[in-house]
Amino acid sequence: MAGHEEELIEIIAEEALVDRAKLDPNATLEDIGLDSVDLVSVVFAIEEKYGIEIAEDAFSRSDTLAQLLAKIEALIAAKES
Amino acid sequence: MPESIVVTGLGAISSLGMDVAENWASARAGVTGIKPHLLDPGPHGPPPVTRVAAIMQGDWLAALEAALGRRIGQTFDPFAAFALKASHEALGHAGLLGQPLGSRAAVVMGNGIGGLTTLEKAYERFFGLKATKIHPMTVPRVMVSALVSAVAMEFGVTGPVFATSSACASAGHAIIQGAGLIATGMVDVAVVGGSECIGSPGGIRSWEGLQAMSDTMLRPFSAGRDGMAIGDGAAALVIERRSHAEARGAPILAEFLGGGMTSDAGHLTQPGLEGVVGAMRQACAPGGFLEPGAGQVLISAHGTGTPLNDKNEAEAIRAVFGDAAASTPVIATKSAHGHTLGATAALQAVLALKALETGYAPPILGYLGPDEDCAGLDLVLGEARPISIRNLLVNAFAFGGLNVCLAFRR
Repeated sequence: MAGHEEELIEIIAEEALVDRAKLDPNATLEDIGLDSVDLVSVVFAIEEKYGIEIAEDAFSRSDTLAQLLAKIEALIAAKES
Repeated sequence: MPESIVVTGLGAISSLGMDVAENWASARAGVTGIKPHLLDPGPHGPPPVTRVAAIMQGDWLAALEAALGRRIGQTFDPFAAFALKASHEALGHAGLLGQPLGSRAAVVMGNGIGGLTTLEKAYERFFGLKATKIHPMTVPRVMVSALVSAVAMEFGVTGPVFATSSACASAGHAIIQGAGLIATGMVDVAVVGGSECIGSPGGIRSWEGLQAMSDTMLRPFSAGRDGMAIGDGAAALVIERRSHAEARGAPILAEFLGGGMTSDAGHLTQPGLEGVVGAMRQACAPGGFLEPGAGQVLISAHGTGTPLNDKNEAEAIRAVFGDAAASTPVIATKSAHGHTLGATAALQAVLALKALETGYAPPILGYLGPDEDCAGLDLVLGEARPISIRNLLVNAFAFGGLNVCLAFRR
């Protein structure tokens, strides 16, 4: 995985006010406690930081954190290439 | 005779400090929060400029999060977060933290403009970057009522909760409305006050067009005064029915005697004499401030340092107090905390109540010399002046000719 994971985790913790210790890659977004507004705030912050566009239905709350990170890494990689 | 309403808690945050103690220490010592700031609108704005203002200093978010014991992050625009900090302090002071305040409590706070920091950022993206998406929390952060919702949610207030907006008189209207809810019997206690965050690059630049901003310092009632300096800040007072305060053994800091509210119905930016005089007279009436034997009154003037306001306010004070004007001390704490707009009436009230409590009137700062337009007043100049005064009149006059005066007795 490219080197954005730390930054992405930091953004999620900050935007959703979640303790970093709770951000287990295998936990679902729901388990982590992200509600729908948290999720749009996270998506927004990531779009702004990396200059990417994330489709509105790109993620669901049943996705795991690892799945979310992988999708975002792919979008960043596509942008950079 | 209706039961009296008392003040049992104070809270403040501004460029002078994170709490009442810090704000008061600066005001009393003659330290101002007004100074030059480099305002950088970022890569999509015009070049940076330096402007004089009283912008919040230090890590206020950390102070708020430490006070509440939880993360707040970007949940609120700064103006709502400032209100939360001041309210937490005031409720702590009043001994009302630790349990939900419930349906017999109200929150009424003033704000002039709403979440300008958030709005500016959203429109930078929208118009500047041509981004199609606006941050999903933009509306709940920008709305003027966000400050009272933030306070109500934090402290479990389920009674009347609303914001007042009347530009620079907003907090004054809020205090009177909160007191009204107690007077009608609807609630026992109210968190009242106001907040404003104007210290954004676009926010400060938008004031410049009015030609009302000083390049150096806000100099109330002074010769050579050339305008105001705007500031960030919030202040809160806990007010309650006297029997309610006494029953729980709360400290009674002062009595709120009443207020005056008038409208000039005149000009959008120029003050009128009649409306200002009317509001002061109304506020003075319940405590009999203008009657013989009432004792001295401390006036916390609106004192914006603009040529027009200070001339008009001086004339109003002379008209209302007559011969006594020359021996009625006038303070103007905007020279310390800047013009905090929707917060100012509450911030002035908090500092002036500290003046009565400690027996020192804080000095008017930036004074260069007498101006005949402002003659005949007893301005507190130089250093803090020892006083022994129980009566307080607080003035707040807004653009659009909206005038509020508040009367307290310690």
